[in-house]
Amino acid sequence: MTSSRRSVLTAGVAAAALVGAGVPHLTRAQARPPRQARMVPHGDLNILDPIWTTQNMAAYHGAMMYDTLYGIDANFVPQPQMVGRTDISADRKTYTMELRPGLKWHDGTPVTARDCVASLRRWQVKDGAGQHLFERVADTPVVDDKTFRIVLKEPYSLLLDALAKTTTPLCVMMKAEIAATDPNTQITKHIGSGPFKFVEAEYRPGSRVVYERNPDYVPRSEPASGISGGKRVLLDRVIWDIMPDAQTAASALMAGEVDFFELPPTDILPALGAAPGVKIEAFNKLGNLGQVRLNHLHPPFNNVAARKAAQLAISQEDIQRAAVGDPKFYRTCGSNFACGSAMGVEDGSEALMINVPMAQRQARARELLKEAGYDGKPIVLLHATNIHVMNQTILVVAQNLRQIGMNVQLASTDWGAVVTRRSNQNPPDQGGWNVFYTYSGGNSAANPISLFAHAAIGRKAWFGWPENPAIELMRTEWAAAPTLEARRAVASRLNRAMIEYVHDIKTGQWVAPVAYRSDRLRGFVQIPEAIPWWNVERYA
Amino acid sequence: MLSYILRRLLGVIPVMLVVGVFVFSLLHMAPGDPAAIIAGDNATPASIAQIRASLGLDRPLLEQFGSWGWATLRGDLGVSMFSQIAVTTLVEQRVGPTFSLAFTTMLVAVTIAITMGVLAAWKAGSLLDRAVMGLAVTGFSVPVFVVGYIMVYFVALKWRWLPVQGYTPMAEGFWPWLQHLVLPSFALGLAYVALIARITRASMLEVLSEDYIRTASAKGVATLPMLLGHALKNAAVPIITVIGIGVALLMSGVVITESVFNIPGVGRLVVDAIARRDYPIIQGVMVIFAAVYVLINLAIDISYSFLDPRIRYS
Repeated sequence: MTSSRRSVLTAGVAAAALVGAGVPHLTRAQARPPRQARMVPHGDLNILDPIWTTQNMAAYHGAMMYDTLYGIDANFVPQPQMVGRTDISADRKTYTMELRPGLKWHDGTPVTARDCVASLRRWQVKDGAGQHLFERVADTPVVDDKTFRIVLKEPYSLLLDALAKTTTPLCVMMKAEIAATDPNTQITKHIGSGPFKFVEAEYRPGSRVVYERNPDYVPRSEPASGISGGKRVLLDRVIWDIMPDAQTAASALMAGEVDFFELPPTDILPALGAAPGVKIEAFNKLGNLGQVRLNHLHPPFNNVAARKAAQLAISQEDIQRAAVGDPKFYRTCGSNFACGSAMGVEDGSEALMINVPMAQRQARARELLKEAGYDGKPIVLLHATNIHVMNQTILVVAQNLRQIGMNVQLASTDWGAVVTRRSNQNPPDQGGWNVFYTYSGGNSAANPISLFAHAAIGRKAWFGWPENPAIELMRTEWAAAPTLEARRAVASRLNRAMIEYVHDIKTGQWVAPVAYRSDRLRGFVQIPEAIPWWNVERYA
Repeated sequence: MLSYILRRLLGVIPVMLVVGVFVFSLLHMAPGDPAAIIAGDNATPASIAQIRASLGLDRPLLEQFGSWGWATLRGDLGVSMFSQIAVTTLVEQRVGPTFSLAFTTMLVAVTIAITMGVLAAWKAGSLLDRAVMGLAVTGFSVPVFVVGYIMVYFVALKWRWLPVQGYTPMAEGFWPWLQHLVLPSFALGLAYVALIARITRASMLEVLSEDYIRTASAKGVATLPMLLGHALKNAAVPIITVIGIGVALLMSGVVITESVFNIPGVGRLVVDAIARRDYPIIQGVMVIFAAVYVLINLAIDISYSFLDPRIRYS
């Protein structure tokens, strides 16, 4: 047999075509075991203890593999989850909780009341709401294998809310032997009782996290709602692919290599929205609330007039336009507790003059700055350049402050360095700072107690160290208020006081939509600050 | 030769010591607190302080360096402050993808670049030569992420020939392994093609002007054996040097490629660790990188004597 150069070329082209034609087919066949979903989360899961850290990724992990005694429903009302029955004494000081039958740890052993009490004890050390609750807890006796009590020193209407919340750290239940770990040390064993099991053998920090269905999980009979109700597991495996590059994640979603992209940047959304089979949807309707923190310890912001000047100078609209871009996804907001939440009151926000022309606001701000005796000393702004929203916001804030005559100095670095320097209480010229920016989930901000940034207890407060006894009194009053209406009334006064005092400066609220393959997946339960995979079904 | 190799290997020890001191000092001088990052944004200052103490970060710096140095000498690179997984395990998990990417990139680069360089030198001054040099300049000038995104758009998204991203170990099949490496290798390899092709051309031009090449040509030696057997072999020393430098440079080059194509390699491991100040990982990987650099240089030096018998080490 002889072969000419032409025949060899022809064969080569044919082979290449065959290989080329086969590639997509092969790719699909290998990447898709049945009942599996792949998510690109917003960050890396590098800490597996949802109590040790307040990082959101650890909370996501907690929601997958652990369960909670209570869970908030879609209306933010606490509903029993692991608990079958709760009896509340007539004086509202004793809560007797009985676990529902059939609860098992992932190693097959039954969940006991002892486990739950140990878990509560560990959680409360690290959580703001937990600490507030346990200041009022007299005892947590175990009655029997399935029953325990929370005995209070005084009635506390936020008890169930604290146990049910989705803000980090979630009040997840762990085995007693694991929950005995010092709260400031990370746990080393990962045994939960939640709807999914963590597959430790396949865990690759920075790259991949794998969960598989917990076959022993007994869902509640109620429909799934919020983080409560029946957590029906309809997927065998859920894989989190950690991707540092948003463009790559978007391409992977469009190509069908992943099914869910949690945090697509807004500039990529139009392309994703136009891709066949991809749906853009805002799961977390409360979104995020930005906040500029001012250092209350040092001039000029130890003077309320200077803080008010900054409050007037900083434009929520400018910031949102630069940081978020599309007005569909952001709004200005005069609430410290997230607009649209149960506590989303805007009383006192007229002082922000949000809708007044900037020229007028700046004129008033200049007067206030003069009144504060600002001497032109440099104002140090901590500038995290590696997080888009933070980078853009601080650049706008710097410009806003310059426009009223402040001598702004940007300390540009990465977020890792900002979180270190922001804890420095020294004056700005000795390693301290005047201004930094961060944001919190709207759901976290909605609770004056559980978000530590709302505290105004001076040097022991969150970074910025505001000190205002009146605000502290109102926070306590809010926690003691017996009904939602009563809490809302206190929140109205609290919001006004916080704006008047310029506790910090809110920079607006925005939602971050997710993008997912709606041609394959359905049934997502929408929960603020968690991405649940129960109830999700792969239908194609 | 053996004593030379031994001496060079012993020379690794002081180099590693200097690297260790330098990396440790640089990291601890740079701003950043792993405890604050671990605790999360909603943590209290007290909680951050407690985590700092539990990680031993509140100990004097010299004491911290002493413990790390002593453990490293015993081969223990420590555990990640975040995931609590041993640094050696993390590196083991990541070295396969990085090695695969480096190998396929250099294979692509060397094959294409040497062919292009030899052809350009052979046809010096021709249109082919100018095209090769033009491509070399382009390859050097276009950033790897731009090449990567363009390739992803056409090859993976538009034509659906290859996957967008990811890595599959060879243990799961040769084709799945290869198909995930084709695009990253070409994207990353372009700059090396440019570098090696230029050096090959320059080196070949010098050799092709030698008398023995003219003599070989006059004796009727065919073009291909003359180019490959006579000229390329004698032009190999500078080419090998550049390839060696290229392999070393790859270690930094893979970081961007690993991100763009979502390859879970060592480059990403160390970049992620830097962002969150995971000191044991950064220190451990830097020490390993330094050792690899030194060994690559040694391997290149040794290879000279095989390529050119006139080079002898004593």
